[in-house]
Amino acid sequence: MPAIETTGLTKEYGDLDALSGLSLTVGEGELFALLGPNGSGKTTTIEILTGQRTPTSGTATVLGHDPVAEPMAVRRAIGTLPEREDPPSFLTPREFLEFVCEVRELSDPDAHVERWAERLSFAETLDTLSTNLSEGQRQRVMLAAAFVHEPELVFIDEPLVNLDPIMQEQVKRHLADYCAEGNTIFLSTHFVEVAQELCTSVGIVSDGRLVATCDPRELDDGELLDVFVAEIDAEREAVVG
Amino acid sequence: MTASNRTLLSWMVREEWRLHSELFGGRRFAGFPLAIGALTALGTALLAATGTQSAAVLAGLHALVALFGLQVGTIGLVGRDALRDVLGDVTLLLFSARTLPLSMKRLLGLFLVKEVLYYSGLFVTPVLAGFGVVAVGRGMAPATVALAWLTVTLAFALGATASLALAALAARNALAVGVALAAGVVAVVATGTDPVALTPYRLFTDPSVAAVVTAVVPPLALGGLGIALFEPTEDDGDDGRHRRLDRLLVAVAPDGLTRRPLLAVARSAGSVWKVLFSMGVLFGVTALVLRQVTAATGIEPGVGIAFGTLLGLGGFTTYSWVTQFGDPREYLRYPVSYDAVFRGALRAYLLLSVGASLLYLAVALLWYPLAEVALGAVVQPLVALYVFGVTAAVTGLSPNELLFDTPRFALFGAALAALATPLVVAALAVRVDPLLVRVVAVAIALVGAVVGLVLTRRAGPRWTSVFRE
Repeated sequence: MPAIETTGLTKEYGDLDALSGLSLTVGEGELFALLGPNGSGKTTTIEILTGQRTPTSGTATVLGHDPVAEPMAVRRAIGTLPEREDPPSFLTPREFLEFVCEVRELSDPDAHVERWAERLSFAETLDTLSTNLSEGQRQRVMLAAAFVHEPELVFIDEPLVNLDPIMQEQVKRHLADYCAEGNTIFLSTHFVEVAQELCTSVGIVSDGRLVATCDPRELDDGELLDVFVAEIDAEREAVVG
Repeated sequence: MTASNRTLLSWMVREEWRLHSELFGGRRFAGFPLAIGALTALGTALLAATGTQSAAVLAGLHALVALFGLQVGTIGLVGRDALRDVLGDVTLLLFSARTLPLSMKRLLGLFLVKEVLYYSGLFVTPVLAGFGVVAVGRGMAPATVALAWLTVTLAFALGATASLALAALAARNALAVGVALAAGVVAVVATGTDPVALTPYRLFTDPSVAAVVTAVVPPLALGGLGIALFEPTEDDGDDGRHRRLDRLLVAVAPDGLTRRPLLAVARSAGSVWKVLFSMGVLFGVTALVLRQVTAATGIEPGVGIAFGTLLGLGGFTTYSWVTQFGDPREYLRYPVSYDAVFRGALRAYLLLSVGASLLYLAVALLWYPLAEVALGAVVQPLVALYVFGVTAAVTGLSPNELLFDTPRFALFGAALAALATPLVVAALAVRVDPLLVRVVAVAIALVGAVVGLVLTRRAGPRWTSVFRE
């Protein structure tokens, strides 16, 4: 059974068609990237698949659950890191992660918090107010919040924004290791090099439609960029034509 | 005023307008003064129908607008963290002294002037226009309404500058605020001074040169004091203190959905003291209004019903504090229902608002009989439950958006008036049949509490579907 499957997903915001019949399949254990330019529907796709938003039409299955009919079951099973999201300003990372552990009904929250703080290198700022953390430090806390219950599927919207190069490498290694343990990761990004370096499968999305899929491991260095640009250009010419 | 001050002031006004337009949508925001005027006219007409004199209504308007000034001053000066949570990393012109060659004190002075100008246009003028339409129709001279506009604007300035002075003093030494307030109360009691005689309301009741001085000097003095004392506050980085508070709250509120809003209130500027402060102001204003109503009309209102009702209605401020830190859609990421989120917020809200109210009602025992205070302690939590339910139903977890969203503001105002009006009438009519009126008032508050609980229960499913659209 695939980890994620969608058929003909559409989403309209008034006159704007954010998704126009998106169909895709992501297998278990894959590190999948949804690659597309700004405004192509990546974030809307993640919001629908994680039960945060209802589609206008179409169907989706996430770990065997329907995110429209069973959003709570989906949220229980997955982890989510939205784009540009900070931990609450006036909680410390420890308090925020304890809160997440409690909401997710994890036993021994302290142990979970300590382990993830150690793993993502923010143990020394666990009791500092989030408002006083740097952007990169806040991003690490949000990553920990997505992974703290060690779900079999994690959705991440632009995973490396605000991180310094050393932390970027650490996070990339972490994502690869996490998938190697049999878990699935669904990334959304517009950074082609991230998708090429990290992922086992890439879907290219343009104007709310999946226009191509490929395995970046079968491509030469930098070739994914050529594929991406060619697919986006072709789609736009088709739309204009 | 120098040309550059004028320029800065015009930029600040423009910034305030943009901020509200951005938050609440231009057209909906523009309808706000009309809604304020219409609600005031309706309220004045209803009070007139119950036999309340226009002079008593004006006394209440002075008090309410001064209270609004206090809130505006507090929000403007210590609410930057709340703004940041609503709008992202917000930088206001007020804070540009960090990067530009402008003194903080000069910017703060201009900020205060801007607040008075902006809100006198947006809020005080529509209030007086709404009142004036009804009052002039009942025989009040237009010149009296014009004088009231001036004194109500000064009352707003007094509220805003008082909150600046107290916030600035609190940032330096929280204990000093308590000492200053206690010293003020002792001085007033010991010298037998009428505190109202030190406010702009005196200029309205007794226009004279001395009254002009007492109307103008206190706002100027408090504004100057606040500017002199004000220092931008930063977190002291005491990580051990943060951990200790977390452990303490784990004991008080073991569930995370209650603890989180409590922590957010405790950590934001003003901490839980702002709840005590706002309830204290409401308590003081209610006491003054009760006295003025007696002085103006000869009616002795029911103190317990009045305190219980107004302190209960004041719970709206606490609601906004327990819900404003964080993105309401965040909970969509977790396996937790909005029903549970609202229940957690309700527990935090009751802990803070009922706790603070009981404290002030205990203080009220110094002046009022035990039976009246006990009645207030019964009515207040019931009204507070109603306020929570209505606010949750109308605004969800974003109560600040209510302020300038005209249709929702009108709906919210009407819903609060539905409970507040019969209770205020009961407070004014208590002498007709003291026992019966008090029983009816408690029954009305009880019905309100049940309605509030039902609305709270329905808020979860309703806002889940709104957020997921």
